[in-house]
Amino acid sequence: MIEVRGLVKRFGDVTAVDGVDFEAADGEVTGLLGPNGAGKTTTLRMLYGLMKPDLGQVRVDGIDTVADPQGAQGRMGVLPDSHGLYLRLTAREHIRYFGQLQGLSGADLEGRISVLVEQLDMGAIADRRAEGFSHGERMKVSLGRALVHDPRTVMLDEPTNGLDVQSTRAVRGLIRQMRTDGRCVLFSSHIMQEVSALCDRIIIISAGRVAAVGTPEQIKQQTGHDNLEDAFVALTGLDEVTT
Amino acid sequence: MRSLTVFRKELVDGLRDRRSVLSALLFPLLFPLLITFMFNKIAERDREAHEIDIPVYGAERALDLMDWFERRGYDVVDGPEDAQAAVRDKVHDFVLVISADFVEDFEAGRTADVELVHDGSRKEASQAVNRARSLVREYGRLVGNLRLIARGISPQLGNPIGIDEVDIASARQRSASWFSFIPMIIIMATFIGGMNVAIDATAGERERSSLEPLLVNPVSRRSLVLGKWLAASMFSAACVALTLGSLLLALAHVPLQQLGIQLHIGTREIVGVLLATLPLSLFASGLQITLASFARSYKEAQTYLSMLMLMPMIPHFIASMSSLGDAWWMLPVPALGQHVILTDVLGGEPIGVGSVLLVVLSSPLLGLLCVEITARLFERERIVFGR
Repeated sequence: MIEVRGLVKRFGDVTAVDGVDFEAADGEVTGLLGPNGAGKTTTLRMLYGLMKPDLGQVRVDGIDTVADPQGAQGRMGVLPDSHGLYLRLTAREHIRYFGQLQGLSGADLEGRISVLVEQLDMGAIADRRAEGFSHGERMKVSLGRALVHDPRTVMLDEPTNGLDVQSTRAVRGLIRQMRTDGRCVLFSSHIMQEVSALCDRIIIISAGRVAAVGTPEQIKQQTGHDNLEDAFVALTGLDEVTT
Repeated sequence: MRSLTVFRKELVDGLRDRRSVLSALLFPLLFPLLITFMFNKIAERDREAHEIDIPVYGAERALDLMDWFERRGYDVVDGPEDAQAAVRDKVHDFVLVISADFVEDFEAGRTADVELVHDGSRKEASQAVNRARSLVREYGRLVGNLRLIARGISPQLGNPIGIDEVDIASARQRSASWFSFIPMIIIMATFIGGMNVAIDATAGERERSSLEPLLVNPVSRRSLVLGKWLAASMFSAACVALTLGSLLLALAHVPLQQLGIQLHIGTREIVGVLLATLPLSLFASGLQITLASFARSYKEAQTYLSMLMLMPMIPHFIASMSSLGDAWWMLPVPALGQHVILTDVLGGEPIGVGSVLLVVLSSPLLGLLCVEITARLFERERIVFGR
């Protein structure tokens, strides 16, 4: 459960996030949709506690991310905007390292790693060093280490960006599975199809503000368009949308 | 506890990095190379000094002097008439010119002149020139004494004052000046050994975009930096130990005693060197981690840190130009304090407990300060996200 109230972030004279409010509930997939530069990544960075908001509040399962960032971070699994790997560590070692940093150890940790290797179909690469991994393989490792502590809340910044069809489908499958497990999943994207295919609720962000919130149906109704893409264009004032 | 996790990961990562391992392994080889080189140089010079040929112009005027040279084991060769040109063109290091009036003056009991033509700006010739000068002087004194004795006068009358030089430097201290580069290289090892790990753990994280996911874990920045710092320090300390080991190995294979150089490195010296230097590893790695955190890439960090490498050389160069002195404040200054202690330990000087404490405690404390600064840097959004 994520609650966001009046979030503002400025960089010098530029207001990147300008009063964002929303909620993301457990057992639902919430999509943060917006064109490039709309403030999605900045919003997420404040949500996972690496950026301090100038104004506003973020609470994850009731924990304030500014007052207790580590408490909040222990409850969330995050795929940040940048997710580089350590080229000399194997996939399994990446997941183990993050698991230990989350406070797991011993048989619990090893069991959890095995589950993730299975779930993310990483058997072939689990004990290979990350150097030379394909984009999709790197994404799997990044997801694996983000989810190692079995977090209740999951935030993914553009999880399918640059993936091929097969990997994209695998990630979508994972997101649906997490919803079934009752987790709160928030992911950002600038890709319409993705959001409409997966999300229970959509938050459309444009120029640092929330332009619309609701189910895909509600958003179509609000704008009077019967197609989500047209609705998106109308809301964000864009002439063209990346699909 | 989380620091231990980070420490272990950085250690494994570092050990798998050929660059980190090679620099920690290759640097210690410098000692055997330098010492072998120096040994050969010294031996060569000793050999050369005995093989000086003495070029003399007008040798036939002073046959007794020539005889004296040869009895002392030097070969007399014919010198050129234009002695100055020959020295200028480096045909000879020096030329002795026996003056035309030599025979006359000598037999009349007047001071007979011998010109020693040399080039004072040629350092490499100075040893040979000094040798020739002292040979001629020695001959002159001998002849003078014989003349006085022949007249029934004690030669001591002509030498009213004698100078007895008392060099209070022990043989070990004099030898220590020969090996003044040893402290410098051991101190450099602390800066070399952990450098790559320090860079990889900071600027490297930024360059490969792995910092953001790392920081999302519920671990304090201080714990993260502490683990990274300890890993880099470990590499640094290993490099120091290897460097010292290779020094001992090299010294064991060089017959220093034959050259009149005494450098005793026993248990006391080994303990002293390690005690003074290992804490410096903590400071060197700490400073490197702090500076490298400002860099966005490995290359940028390398530029900063190679400038830092000059730091351990400064005390050595000051000491080689003039005396460093021994003010107490020098001891807690990293690298400088180590230089002072290492020079004393290798020179066989006694070291006070207070001095040791100052040197041993200051570096880890300053290292911890660097950890604290770096931890704060990692709080800054410009460092975490700036690329």
